[in-house]
Amino acid sequence: MIDERIYQQFREIGRDLYVQGLVSSHGGNISIRVGDRVIIKRRGAMLGRLKPHDLVETSIEKNDSGVALASTELLAHRMIYQMTPALAVVHCHPRTAIAFSLSRDEIVPIDNEASYLLKKVPVIWEEFASGTPEMAQNLAKTLQQYKIVFLRGHGSFAIGQTLDEAFHWTSTLEESCQIALYAKLINEPFVEYRGMSEAYNKW
Amino acid sequence: MDGWAGKILDIDLSSGSIKTYPLDEKIARLFVGGRGLGARLLWEEVGPEVDPLSSGNVLIFTTGPLTATGYQTSNRFSVSTKSPLTGTVLDANSGGYWGMQFKKAGYDALIVRGRSEKPIFIEIKSTGVTINDAQQLWGKRVLETTKALGQNDNKRNVLCIGPAGENLSRIAAIMNDGQRSLARGGPGAVMGSKNLKAIVVEGKQRPGIVDEERFKFMLYETRKLLRASPLTSQALPEFGTSVVMNIVNNIGALPTRNFMQSQFEHAEEISGEALTDKYLVKNSACWACPIGCTRISKTEKVEGEGPEYETTWAFGAQCGIDDLAAIIEANAICNDLGMDTISAGSTIACAMELTEKGLLDSDLRFGRADLLAATLEDMGYRRGLGNDLTEGSLRLGKKYGAPELSMSVKGLEMPAYDPRGMQGQGLLYATSNRGACHMRGNMLGLEVLGLPKLIDRFQVQGKSSYVILHQNVAAAIDSLVICKFTNMGVAEEYFARTLTAVTGVKYTTGDLIKVGERVWNLERLYNLREGFTRADDTLPPRLLNEAVVDGPSKGWVSKLEPMLSEYYRARGWDLNGVPRPQKLADLELADLREAVR
Repeated sequence: MIDERIYQQFREIGRDLYVQGLVSSHGGNISIRVGDRVIIKRRGAMLGRLKPHDLVETSIEKNDSGVALASTELLAHRMIYQMTPALAVVHCHPRTAIAFSLSRDEIVPIDNEASYLLKKVPVIWEEFASGTPEMAQNLAKTLQQYKIVFLRGHGSFAIGQTLDEAFHWTSTLEESCQIALYAKLINEPFVEYRGMSEAYNKW
Repeated sequence: MDGWAGKILDIDLSSGSIKTYPLDEKIARLFVGGRGLGARLLWEEVGPEVDPLSSGNVLIFTTGPLTATGYQTSNRFSVSTKSPLTGTVLDANSGGYWGMQFKKAGYDALIVRGRSEKPIFIEIKSTGVTINDAQQLWGKRVLETTKALGQNDNKRNVLCIGPAGENLSRIAAIMNDGQRSLARGGPGAVMGSKNLKAIVVEGKQRPGIVDEERFKFMLYETRKLLRASPLTSQALPEFGTSVVMNIVNNIGALPTRNFMQSQFEHAEEISGEALTDKYLVKNSACWACPIGCTRISKTEKVEGEGPEYETTWAFGAQCGIDDLAAIIEANAICNDLGMDTISAGSTIACAMELTEKGLLDSDLRFGRADLLAATLEDMGYRRGLGNDLTEGSLRLGKKYGAPELSMSVKGLEMPAYDPRGMQGQGLLYATSNRGACHMRGNMLGLEVLGLPKLIDRFQVQGKSSYVILHQNVAAAIDSLVICKFTNMGVAEEYFARTLTAVTGVKYTTGDLIKVGERVWNLERLYNLREGFTRADDTLPPRLLNEAVVDGPSKGWVSKLEPMLSEYYRARGWDLNGVPRPQKLADLELADLREAVR
């Protein structure tokens, strides 16, 4: 039985991800770790309209009947919990960031907020970019070094102590990419205003 | 071994021998330093057969690879020993200057073993280490001793005990740089039992740093974040740690009158705001600390460092006292006697309740601020009732027939947060290896301050995951050793990157947290070897059975049992709280498992 207080967290973050346009109607998935268990969004459930029965609990290590219901990206979520200290994972499809990921191997923010919080977001890729062990392994390994990672052309995976925190990194990245896009549209020379920013790409 | 000094100093007070030997590189990598290194060395040195106040116990002073590098708050050091108050593994850490100076003297750790026949002090200089007569110093209070031995903040630093340690008070602290303390669990009594009055250090060498360029970047980014955080740039510098007094009271989690209530009607009068308005002379800071939370306070009778939030609570709300001047003076007396303020205040509160219930014949009643100073003096010198009080609240409660009135876990008095209004805090207290302690994990951050994000303080399911993560993070920070307040503005990711820059050994955030997990499990093994069981991972019955009667936490008790079962499972321990073989293997502790079978 999943506690009402946990459901409320899923419902609120899921709704915000949808309202902010970070996922399509049925896209994205979120989860939390409870000891050796994971609570994850049900496959096909709409993040913007989560009901209590849309949360599925299963093991982090091994399969049980929960896998029949869990999100397509369960494998990635499990691997992340096995290989990092994360207690929450948010995966979504932020549009501007996806656009940038098509041409870059890393996203280095130019705005102040994301410079403080993220420094650099690596872009990784796999031929099969959904639900494969190779992708899950690559993703989790990169998340040992970073709190948010981008899968080229697909979307972001962010980790945190809470869903709230992982959502924070996600929305910060998308906001940063939107600002970078506007800066490109304005197309004027960039005036560096940050100290030691040359070290960000080595983060 | 950049970062680490690579050397351990080992002094046997029984024989007078002074040795140095290399720090084992594998142990350094796995346990880093500070609390972790101390626990690993203590495991080998002090078994269950050793009485904490016998010559068989040791004091292990440790620094970490970040100590003295100049990284923000890299001034701290740690002491590890078997606690004479709880019988558990013990570490306590402190700021100021002494730790930085000891590291600059070229050591990662100092082990003091045996017992001197007469009072002595140790002097550690670049020219050598000496054991010196201290008969003229024995009996002197902390400030006088510190001054007599030539304290000079940036050059020569003094660590000592006061009368409480000499008189083997089980709540005696070790004091450094005058008014900083390694307070909890009675390490001062262990030092007193060895006839060791003081340790003086003078150092010269800045530790090596592998990647100076990367280290400078981490310094820059850390400074930026500490300045950006209102907590580390405004709240703590302006009001000190007591800035949380009103916040904790407002949510109904400020233990009052020996935890009989959860809100104090006079909290405002003892708050950080009141301290700043009426008694603050200036704020001060430890070496390399940009936060500056230290208070220099002045009343008609005293002027000095403090009081901290926990101290103000212990002599204030916990004793039903709203006289802030009396609290400041009580703090100054404890510092000069060398005594833990949390345990002292909470033990007095226990005595007050025993008296009000007719179980103890004394004048100590809630609100009696006028008796604080004399009672503390009696405790430091073991006079009259003070002889009972200085044994701590659990022994006091047992003697007078009501151990349940001791608000402690494993015999260590609980700090200033009521677990009924902060469910995670209760689990943190119950499972803390050195007994009830708020510094073993920042549940205040998660459940009250929203650091890094606010969680539901009444949530029970899933709470163990947060507690475990934060216990591991705290153990890692204690092993670096830096101040936990940096973690209120800077995530542990920065510490891992800084550690990598300093040592050249690659640590990811997960690696660093795993160090903390390793330390936690080692401490658990130590306590199991001492005979502690699941039954000791509990809270006083009052918190489990008596619901809060009014306020924002009304109706709540601590729901410890379901959280504890979830906690054991999530830790990879069996139902009795014994780490499973696979967990120990994962943590590279498999070789220690036989000891607890």
